[in-house]
Amino acid sequence: MTEVLVVDDSKVMRDMVVACLRAEAGYAFTHASSGLEAIERLSLKRFDLVVLDLNMPDIGGIEVVEFVRGQDTIKDLPVVIVTTRGDEASRTRALAAGANRFMTKPFTPETILAEVRSMLAPGTRPRAPG
Amino acid sequence: MSAPDALLEFLPPYLAEVDELLAAARSNLLAAEVSARKGMASPRLVRELFRGVHTIKGLSAMVDVEAVVALSHRMETSLRIADQAGGRLGTAAIQRLFQGLTGIEHCVKQLAAGRPLDAPSPALLALLDNLEEGLVGSPGPTDGPLVLQLAPSLLAKVNASEREQLNQGVAAGLTAVLLEFSPSPERAQAGFNINSVRERLSKVAELVKVVPVSAKVTASSPGGLYFALLLLTSNPPEALVAASGVAASDVKVIASPRSPAADDELADLADAALPAYEGAGRHGVVRVEAGRLDEAMDRLSALVVGRSRVMRAVAQLTETGANTRELLQILAENGRHLRDMRASILRIRMVRVVEVLERLPLMVRGLRRSTGKQVRLELELGNAELDKGVGDRLFPAIVHLVRNAVDHALELPEERVRLGKPPEGLLRIRCHSRPNSLLELSIEDDGAGVDAATVARRAGVPEPRNAQELLELLCQPGLSTRTEVSTTSGRGMGMDIVKRIAVGQLGGSLTLATELGKGSTFTLSVPLTLSIVEAFVFESGAQRYALPVSAVEELIEIDPDLVIRGPVPVGKDGRAAEASGVGMIHRRGAAVPVLTLDALLHGVQGGRPKKAIVVFHQGQRVAFGVDRMVSQQEIVIRPLEDPLVRVRGVTGATDLGDGRPTLVLDLAAFSKGITLGLPA
Repeated sequence: MTEVLVVDDSKVMRDMVVACLRAEAGYAFTHASSGLEAIERLSLKRFDLVVLDLNMPDIGGIEVVEFVRGQDTIKDLPVVIVTTRGDEASRTRALAAGANRFMTKPFTPETILAEVRSMLAPGTRPRAPG
Repeated sequence: MSAPDALLEFLPPYLAEVDELLAAARSNLLAAEVSARKGMASPRLVRELFRGVHTIKGLSAMVDVEAVVALSHRMETSLRIADQAGGRLGTAAIQRLFQGLTGIEHCVKQLAAGRPLDAPSPALLALLDNLEEGLVGSPGPTDGPLVLQLAPSLLAKVNASEREQLNQGVAAGLTAVLLEFSPSPERAQAGFNINSVRERLSKVAELVKVVPVSAKVTASSPGGLYFALLLLTSNPPEALVAASGVAASDVKVIASPRSPAADDELADLADAALPAYEGAGRHGVVRVEAGRLDEAMDRLSALVVGRSRVMRAVAQLTETGANTRELLQILAENGRHLRDMRASILRIRMVRVVEVLERLPLMVRGLRRSTGKQVRLELELGNAELDKGVGDRLFPAIVHLVRNAVDHALELPEERVRLGKPPEGLLRIRCHSRPNSLLELSIEDDGAGVDAATVARRAGVPEPRNAQELLELLCQPGLSTRTEVSTTSGRGMGMDIVKRIAVGQLGGSLTLATELGKGSTFTLSVPLTLSIVEAFVFESGAQRYALPVSAVEELIEIDPDLVIRGPVPVGKDGRAAEASGVGMIHRRGAAVPVLTLDALLHGVQGGRPKKAIVVFHQGQRVAFGVDRMVSQQEIVIRPLEDPLVRVRGVTGATDLGDGRPTLVLDLAAFSKGITLGLPA
């Protein structure tokens, strides 16, 4: 089972992401409603992929990426940033912080699924140990 | 570009969430305005506003609502700048942001009503585009730099707006505290995770910032992580320890209060007129469409019908001499469960009065500006709740009363001072739940009071002898106590509308207490719940009737010439059905009896109706001929209270807005016992 952590403060947005990805068999989804909750969950359980919103109440997506890349146990975890149009400046910042992919809302189920598949493809799959 | 089909199903939850975000944004903007008037920054509010608008933008892009994206994008840009400036927002910018929110709200309303969306007006977009000019208010008084006892790595993470927030807090007599929380599976088991800790801490402190910090993996931090929480509080460290489950050594003071907590400026921020908004992000709260609750209620009705069938079957069984005691016990229990379930569903429909009235502060704010009057709005609503349907209907009545109070009752500041009153007028709204499932809501002002003599003169009648007579007079349609038209209340007082809503539609009452020169109190008493259904309204024999849509199989046109007069349907007792306006039509290969409703209800002969309502009851279709279909609308059914007026086929009465009672029919009751008699 591929464990996916979906992080967004908007429940509707999380549901949309899950709706886009559930077409692929073998994914299990965990929701986190804030950056802090995401970090907490990541520190206590192994995940294969994080889909991450940039703007959230407590700490933003970039800080979550920075944290992930700074933790030995999860530093290779694939991270897809999902953000809102007009926020292109943060694209550079997010990629610099170590995000693997950057997607702009609105996206279609096909585009996000393609990104996720390519990141998790065998061989190219960066995997967090243990 | 159109939204991907897969995401279209998200339109209803999208609308619900945007609604919630808008309510929170409005509330935050109001609070920000209070600080802006005092020349203070609102770092936390601006940050929350920014985030709310940003979320609206992202969601709207996903469901392809371009108009909202355009509006929210512009608002977001300026809010980001304000945030970077330490949360300073000028009153002019706040005005425009309010207009932006209203623009978004308009779009959401259009979408919810299924209407096409126009592009936002270029004027509004331009207004929001130029928002940045004069965005930042004048800097407030600074009390010198704030020194925080923090490690440099943490200090580097505190941005300008958070520093301003800490600065304000410390200046207002709060203590700045650093609390370190390490998540672990055991702590999570005990109910302490970052979300719950944050929520509990927010009750005893103001959260300024949370920073995740990597740490060595130890027994106390198995995830190799702790959270550094920066807080402002007036509570002792023990309260923070209790709320977060951390050790006392994990709580450190990083800045002590600068002055004793005598300065009440921050307390003022929590303006009494602004009920704390808890809607958005409140844990354990689910928003559902009212339609789904109605659906649940329909399912429940089916269960009730099933139960009565079982009861009949059991009764027959009992007649044959079988022992049915246990069955009867089970049935009795089952009946109780169904009643409880009905009560549960009705409870879900209840909303807090605070939420129903959440737009009032905004409205009063608008009235303040347009009238030049000073108004202090006090809401004392407690935890009272009422049915969503009642709330939606009641709100316009309250709006009328509030407008009247500000517009007609409260005096201008100079006038009030001359009269020895404080310049700021008082408008107090209180509510209490009363026995008999009634909610009492009073709107009180300390204005001029209603002058009975003037009202009587204008109406051309003798002076009323008491408050109740005066109220009757005020509620006469078309009565105006003002000669000039005002922008807010128009020409009339609209009291007839208030009365029609409270008494006519909701079956409640309206009372008035007033004293000349001292003020007035209008009190509305309304039932907490109502039975609301979608209904067809039609005419028969010059009378109007309503019939729940759910009871109707179809509406058909009939050609009077094709109605076969006879064979005559007969009742079970073999006599001809009580009315003589009976015929028969062929419908989809089957014979359907046609009864003329007017004949059925009033025994009137003749009449050749061209329209008929077909109901399906116990395997039988029966058509009821009527004169004219009028409309399809939501109606509130009030049961007929007098047990003596219990008429077969009449379930209650409703007010369609014309002030006259309209009977709500149960046509299935008429179709009972009508079978097609076999031709002799």
